Amino acid sequence: MEKLASLIIIIGTFLWLFSILVLEGRWQWQMFSALVLIIGIFCAHFWEELRDTDSDE
Amino acid sequence: MARERVSQADEWQSWANRYDIEGGIRTFESGLTVKVFVGALFVGLLMMPGSIYLSYVSGQSGAEAAPWVAVILFTELARRSFTTARRQELYMLLALTGAAVGSGMQYRNFIWYAYFINTPQAASYEIADKIPEWIVPAGDSVGVLTRSLLHPDWFLPIAIYLAGKFLGTLRFVSGQYILFRLTADLERLPYPMAPIQAQGATALAETTGKEETWRWRVFSIGSMAGLIWGFLYIGVPSLTGVMMSQPIQILKIPWIDFTQSIEGFAPTGVFAFRTDFGQMLIGFVMPFPIVMSEFITAMATQFILNPQILYRYEILHQWTPGLDVRGATLFNGLDFWISAGMGKSFSLALVGMAASIPMLIKLRRSQKQAGERGSFATPPNRGDFPIWLMGGMWLIGMVGFVWLIHWMVPNFPLSFLVGYAFLYTPINSYITARTYGVLGRDLFEIPYLHEITFILSRYEEIDIWFAPLPDEDYGRGTQGWRVLELTGTTFTSNLAATLLIMPILLVSGIVVLHFIWKIAPIPSAQYPFAQMMWPINATNECLWKTSLRDGNSQMLQAIRGDYVAAGFTSSLALYGMLWVFKLPSMWFYGIIGGLGTDPGSMVARLLGAVIGRFYMIKRFGMRRWYMFNPVLAAGFACGVGLIGMGTVAIALVSKAVIVKPF
Repeated sequence: MEKLASLIIIIGTFLWLFSILVLEGRWQWQMFSALVLIIGIFCAHFWEELRDTDSDE
Repeated sequence: MARERVSQADEWQSWANRYDIEGGIRTFESGLTVKVFVGALFVGLLMMPGSIYLSYVSGQSGAEAAPWVAVILFTELARRSFTTARRQELYMLLALTGAAVGSGMQYRNFIWYAYFINTPQAASYEIADKIPEWIVPAGDSVGVLTRSLLHPDWFLPIAIYLAGKFLGTLRFVSGQYILFRLTADLERLPYPMAPIQAQGATALAETTGKEETWRWRVFSIGSMAGLIWGFLYIGVPSLTGVMMSQPIQILKIPWIDFTQSIEGFAPTGVFAFRTDFGQMLIGFVMPFPIVMSEFITAMATQFILNPQILYRYEILHQWTPGLDVRGATLFNGLDFWISAGMGKSFSLALVGMAASIPMLIKLRRSQKQAGERGSFATPPNRGDFPIWLMGGMWLIGMVGFVWLIHWMVPNFPLSFLVGYAFLYTPINSYITARTYGVLGRDLFEIPYLHEITFILSRYEEIDIWFAPLPDEDYGRGTQGWRVLELTGTTFTSNLAATLLIMPILLVSGIVVLHFIWKIAPIPSAQYPFAQMMWPINATNECLWKTSLRDGNSQMLQAIRGDYVAAGFTSSLALYGMLWVFKLPSMWFYGIIGGLGTDPGSMVARLLGAVIGRFYMIKRFGMRRWYMFNPVLAAGFACGVGLIGMGTVAIALVSKAVIVKPF
């Protein structure tokens, strides 16, 4: 899960850089990369907080 | 070696532990005694005029010093009288003196709007004649022109304020208490930051022994530094302002502007060196990674991002050579940074939500497993109130408040007010109470809520911008009840003290502010900080208040979707990458705070952080240094406050006895 979250965040960051450098920073593309980043950040926090509880179980 | 991953909650709690000198106690006593009440009123009211005056002269009120001055005096008096001061008394003294010294500032909006209504900005944006009379009397009224808060013209604004204050007290006391019972008693949340607040009073209570303690020495060092600094920074300009038409400023207040000096190599960059070295004390206590990353980012913004990227690609296009810090900041804001700042705010809300939701789920799951859920049963002698009584108080307070707002803006849709009052406020408050219970700070806040509401309501009148909305947050106040519990102070004594002192403060606050306004117009040369900042604040306020008018305002034109998206997404990317590389989340808050801001305003704070981190901690040890900090800061603020108090007294006397030239 940690690696998956990291991968999604890295993809989101590259998408954003791509939207700025190549797609002239159009807000639609930026918001799409934001969506990817949000999924990654939520995954990261869910993994971070729930890992100990899961291992306890 | 691989870096170990630390969750945001653990990171912040480990920082909180640095301040946590002592645990709490669980025997309850009343903190309200006659000597505490009189002592708080004496120190609070003595320092209140100085505090108001300082806020207009230097932008810093120094109000935070007063509670500590009261406590130090109280403990020293107790020691010399061979008696002891209880921690409950000291905590009550801190709370009451803080309320007393801050009581003048509660009316500051009256002075602000009395200025605002007659500004050229308000006239040119065509809102001067649309400011409602329940905020400020008309610009040409006697009450405004003669600078008299005691004139009958002010009756309506003051009556509305007092009604709001009464209803607000009902709502906040009851709302906070109900949430405290829910989160602390029933759910057993830890409230990690509460012991820090509690330790000030509990530690000082022990100083009422016979021997001289370090606290008095540290406090004295801080006071002397504050007196010297206060004399140079506040005293000289204020005293010369009484005698001369143009005051002498040894260090320019509030900043020395280098913006025009750097425009050759950094066009659009701003650098105004803030001369208030009192900020160093904030640097002493703030987490070092935040201060450092904030400063570096601000430097990068003003010397690389603004001139080399945003200016070069004509994103910052309104800037012209020769602008000072205020003009450059305004145009940079309109061109890019207001939009990007909105995006940053939304990212903060989202990051907070992402951090808090899993945390709350974890807590609920772990409690269910351990079977540790608490009950509504209260500890004996804590001085609790019946829940039904508090619920009733909240309901009366909220219904009254909604009715009051509806009376102020009758054409604004009532459904929005009811929705905020009975749906948004309870949910938002509960979320905040839980994040305070777990992490000790607020994580979730929806930015630009009012603006979004006004757009959705399709209400275009200006008056709604001046009315309060019932979107409240009682969550952060729950920590105060936990601190009361940790110091062993009965809840009933706290409520009684608040209700007893309130009428005195309501009257004394307005009288003092009236006399300070009488000294000289605010802003004027007598009040350099207000003179420097208020015109730009008036422009900003006009921009916001007209932003939804006709759908074509300057502010709406300034807000561009691609720049908001850039601020939002870049902040999320930054947060994500810090997480990927296992770097502290504090860097995120520092970088976000520094983006787009003026590094000159942070120099003193940075200096304090560096001295604290590389000298003081090594010299005294971390634990002792964090014990010294609040006492040193209190001493310094006390010294500056005494200078402010002295100068305001001289200014008042000189105005009273000045001889007319005929």
